[in-house]
Amino acid sequence: MREITYEVFARKDRGDPLVHIGYIDAFDDETAKVYAWKTYDEERWFEMCVVQREAIVPVTDGEGLFAQLRRAHG
Amino acid sequence: MSPFTEDELKQKVHEGYMVEGPDDMTEGYRKALRVQLTVQADTELMSAPSYWMAARYAPSTNTQVSAHAIIQDELAHANIAYRLLEDIGESKEQLVYGRQPHEFKHPYGFDQPLDNWADLVVANGFFDRAGITLLSDVYQNTSYAPLKRALVKIDMEETFHLRHGEVWMRRLSKAGGEARELLQRSVDWMFPMTIEWFGLPDDLKRHSGQLDYKLKGLSNDQLRQVWMSSTVPLCEELGLEAPAHWDEEKQEYALDYPFPCQYDAGEKRWLFDEGEITWDDVFERWKGRGPMNEIYVESVQRSRSDVARWFEARAAA
Repeated sequence: MREITYEVFARKDRGDPLVHIGYIDAFDDETAKVYAWKTYDEERWFEMCVVQREAIVPVTDGEGLFAQLRRAHG
Repeated sequence: MSPFTEDELKQKVHEGYMVEGPDDMTEGYRKALRVQLTVQADTELMSAPSYWMAARYAPSTNTQVSAHAIIQDELAHANIAYRLLEDIGESKEQLVYGRQPHEFKHPYGFDQPLDNWADLVVANGFFDRAGITLLSDVYQNTSYAPLKRALVKIDMEETFHLRHGEVWMRRLSKAGGEARELLQRSVDWMFPMTIEWFGLPDDLKRHSGQLDYKLKGLSNDQLRQVWMSSTVPLCEELGLEAPAHWDEEKQEYALDYPFPCQYDAGEKRWLFDEGEITWDDVFERWKGRGPMNEIYVESVQRSRSDVARWFEARAAA
């Protein structure tokens, strides 16, 4: 049962910045939506979205987390 | 690979440097972080079956909902901690589904049965408070940025679990009679259980690297004091007997029983009368795990292989 890693982003209220709040593993986009909503249920988010980790293209190739993860796990 | 030597990284994190990912870590840092995250993840994971089996004692549909909301939180926290472990090269699949029950690193308290509603709410009041005590210290002090960010959510939710425990402890205490007796019985076995959870006293503590790498800020004895500083007054307020008191001279909480001491898991009773034992005796008891260890782990692992087989069969067809 191979799962895909998704990064989870959310905006608490209208006008707030979209913040990276965590990540989950899921089989596909549909299950990722459910897992993200149920896992990160500490707020009543105004907006939440998930992005497949491998779809993230780091712009800075230095010491940031996503650049490091891409180097470590491809 | 880390651009730093072990000593350089130890110095840098104490100067405020935050580690963002695997490239920033030395091997020593990664190992210390792996141990810390494994204990954290396993503790959250094993609290779930423990609370789940106790949730059947919930006295109303409302309390069923709160008990299961807590279980859901704990599973999410475990999931997040295992994901953090994946980012440093560990396998969540192996950690959750590939280990034998005795290989999990959760505290001995989560190998014990919670036998009634009082046990469950005191577990929320005592065990979850221990969780907050440990994780708040990590949040305030950790040099590992992804964990610090993840702990914002975890801390928020653990505070709710603690409040649930306190509200119900207060309610059972006020009810008096059998409710209060059961509550006291839960305190009697869970207070020393939580005290022991914080581990070796500082004067015996083996060097772990967690303080050196700034993965936590307080020592075991300091954390034990923080836990007692809120738990003992709570018990006093509720008229419950807790085996500890404030020592004016030393300006700290002192235990009223030999520590550490032996525990009769079958009777759920601490053998204070038999006097102090060594920490080697404690480690031996922990290593043997408690009566619910295999049942709890099996309840987490049991369906994985069946469902995986269905998918594999479909893929092969």
